[in-house]
Amino acid sequence: MKPINKMKIEFLSKSVNESFARVVASSFAAQADPSLDVLADIRTAVSEAVTNAIIHGYPDKEGVIVMEGTLYPEYIEIIVQDFGIGIKDLEQAKTPLYTSRPDLERTGMGFTVMETFMDSLTVESVPGKGTKIIMTKQL
Amino acid sequence: MIDIKFNKEGNTLVVMIEGEIDHHTAMMARERIDSKFLMEPVKNMALDLSRVNFMDSAGIGLILGRKSRVSGVGGTLTIRKPKPAIRKLLKLSKMESMVE
Repeated sequence: MKPINKMKIEFLSKSVNESFARVVASSFAAQADPSLDVLADIRTAVSEAVTNAIIHGYPDKEGVIVMEGTLYPEYIEIIVQDFGIGIKDLEQAKTPLYTSRPDLERTGMGFTVMETFMDSLTVESVPGKGTKIIMTKQL
Repeated sequence: MIDIKFNKEGNTLVVMIEGEIDHHTAMMARERIDSKFLMEPVKNMALDLSRVNFMDSAGIGLILGRKSRVSGVGGTLTIRKPKPAIRKLLKLSKMESMVE
């Protein structure tokens, strides 16, 4: 299917950029005039994906996060990618309530929220090379 | 951005949060709330979310962390007036029963 529009941004893994990323994603998705509920779901999922990259991708240093959006006639695809340490055990990471960072009061709900709030979720991760989260949502 | 104001209703510390709760703002929020809860002679806590426009799972962590502290002194934590998008997250986290 031919895309209507595309965007790509990169930013540092600073926690202040969580709000920046979700505002960008939400503004981009708004071009298709979706419902407010759909926009809220996209904002939440993007916030989870970017937070995941900041906390788990780059736990000890700052790195670059790339966010891409592609708008199709009926849905949006959003990719959030980091080039950090990657996830050793993807199945464990996706298990609801599992967290490797209880010290940060993380709940282990990140992937569950992304799966629930979006229509599809694909996670690709290579230890030592980074993690790529691909999400789609009907508009 | 996040702004936190406090009020006291008898034995309950009412925490009025305004803005967005994510990993970035939750770190600041928990320090402010915890220090206030320590200073005040209260047992319970009510988190007023009526002015929270966005919350992700960091907010769930913030609530559960405060619940743990309040339970530690024998009190209870309740949630007030969450907006529909936040209620959806609370439902997913099986925390709807905490809403007043």
